[in-house]
Amino acid sequence: MAERASDRLLRMLGMITYLDRHAGVPVAQIAEHFAVTPAQVLSDVDTLWMTGTPGYLPHDLIDFDAASYEQGVVRLTESRGMTRPLRLGTREAVVLVAALRAMAAALGPSLDPERARVLGSALEKLTAATGEAAAAVDVRLAVDGSPVVVAAIGTALQTGHRLRLRYVNAADVTSERDVDPIRLITDDERSYLLGWCYRAGAERLFRLDRVLGAEVLDDLIDPAHTAGARSVEFHPDPTGGLVTLHLTSRGRWVAESVPVEDVRNLADGTFEVDLRVVDQAWLRHLLLQAAGEVLGLRPTSVARDVASVARSALAAYGPFAEQDCS
Amino acid sequence: MPDQIHPAERLLNLVIALVNTSARMTKEQIRRSVAGYADAASDDAFERMFERDKDTLRELGIPILTVTGSGHGDDIGYRIDQEAYALPPIDLTAAELGVLSLAAQFWQDSAARVDTSRAITKLRAVGAAPEATDLVAGLAARVSAGGDAFAPLLDAVQARQAVTFRYRAASNGEVLSRVVEPWKLLARRGGWFVVGRDRDREAPRSFRLSRIEGRVRTVGPRDAFGEPDAAALADVLASWSAGESRVATLAVRPERAEALRARSVDATEQLDLTDAWLARVAADRDVVHVPFTSAWELAEEVVGYGDAVVVLAPQAVRETVLRLLRVAATLDAAGDTHG
Repeated sequence: MAERASDRLLRMLGMITYLDRHAGVPVAQIAEHFAVTPAQVLSDVDTLWMTGTPGYLPHDLIDFDAASYEQGVVRLTESRGMTRPLRLGTREAVVLVAALRAMAAALGPSLDPERARVLGSALEKLTAATGEAAAAVDVRLAVDGSPVVVAAIGTALQTGHRLRLRYVNAADVTSERDVDPIRLITDDERSYLLGWCYRAGAERLFRLDRVLGAEVLDDLIDPAHTAGARSVEFHPDPTGGLVTLHLTSRGRWVAESVPVEDVRNLADGTFEVDLRVVDQAWLRHLLLQAAGEVLGLRPTSVARDVASVARSALAAYGPFAEQDCS
Repeated sequence: MPDQIHPAERLLNLVIALVNTSARMTKEQIRRSVAGYADAASDDAFERMFERDKDTLRELGIPILTVTGSGHGDDIGYRIDQEAYALPPIDLTAAELGVLSLAAQFWQDSAARVDTSRAITKLRAVGAAPEATDLVAGLAARVSAGGDAFAPLLDAVQARQAVTFRYRAASNGEVLSRVVEPWKLLARRGGWFVVGRDRDREAPRSFRLSRIEGRVRTVGPRDAFGEPDAAALADVLASWSAGESRVATLAVRPERAEALRARSVDATEQLDLTDAWLARVAADRDVVHVPFTSAWELAEEVVGYGDAVVVLAPQAVRETVLRLLRVAATLDAAGDTHG
């Protein structure tokens, strides 16, 4: 997708400011600093080189040292007075400070002192510089898992050791598995461990509230298992069976909270979602929660399965199931 | 088309020109002399281009000031005041800047993501060079998307401006128009809420963003209300805080629901299991006591275990579970199920 002109402008202005403060910076380092490719840095510098004040004669233009540039080092020689950093907009400050505050509150206690200090000082400096108390937004992240488990995972992540987890899955089956930890993910609903599971032979997300025990092993993690892993997002698993749900408009949360392959909005305000489902137990749980919003469901075998689970659960309530009607 | 100038380059030229101008530039001067505007094919095209560029710059926090000349009323010029847009001195270490990469992934809403990434770009300009050590490796934090209502509500909270929207009541599904003075946005357990004063009900209320239907529109002027009443806000917030923890009594099949068992506590008060109904339901099961704060959340969790877990008490949780189960039990009779 093409980059927005405004984002590029912001970065180019940022580069002038940055290069004014750092004399002669290698292209690769600028790329890393601004989180873009080296090719993009070159393209930005080339554009900057052609901009300036009206007239656009050589002395009107932003200028770089050509000899350094040929060596792959960007040295700003003329900034046309564009070195003042931009202040943060109100909303920019709010969302950034709110994010840091939520993270400091949720992650702070489980971080080692050095990292907790850095998170705290970043938050403090931003709050001071933006004058933003972030009163407008208040995010509380879910800190799941027993403190013992969280501490073990934290140690393993920091020291690069393998973990042995006792884990109970969505089908309520407990197992022991060795996992190379990749990332601890905290969101407003749950905490997860993303890791490479030796039992599954693949990356897996483990809900922290389902980790019954975690032991740090002597084995070091295999870098091959954790190197490429960047996907924090949930994606539909293409190997799963296709399930189509027809939901009322109130069932919108289903499409928002699970990985869906396709959403089709229908004229009457209802909608259909396609899910790829590997884990039948997970699907069953979702449908038991969302049944009130389900208008239709394919394949029918899934509907029969969920309904029969619900009926046997009702039977387990015996007299209560007949009595508590409201 | 020869030498089309990239919009980012035109914008940059405009900013540099208006920062460096001795007093101001008129629109005509801008069109004639700032590189990029000559591309405009007509007066209209130029006007549209210039207006759009002004909006873009304002959005980025680089406001263009309008300067009226001393002569005629329609003699309007423009300039950019660097002092007005400069970031106060801030000195971020490489490690602190690294922490911002955590924040970059935090928001799932595209609007909030754009704001965050802009903020980070601005801060990178003043940050120290990156270091090899990544202090936040292995950590990620994020909050679920608030949807289309998030950005306009956030703006309204900031501006202290009332809003109106159509809201679907949880109780009966009725959609009504609401007028609210928004105080604060809250993210709790996977949901976004706006708390504020409902003008029609003349009382504090909270609204779940996912139940807002259609657009959020502002009503009336900015700064239309003062600081929220501290006590009222605290009251509303208290209902979203962890709340008072209670203990549910569950009857669990042997060797099932280990995740629930792992959270179990000693019973504070014993149910009378000689009660005929309770005894019948709990037969051949382990009785487990699990703390909870939200009956609804516990019910949604328990329902996933099917007949392996039965709620004995409290009644509110049991009824919620039964309600879910009764609906689910009719799923295979749903109208348009086919395939």
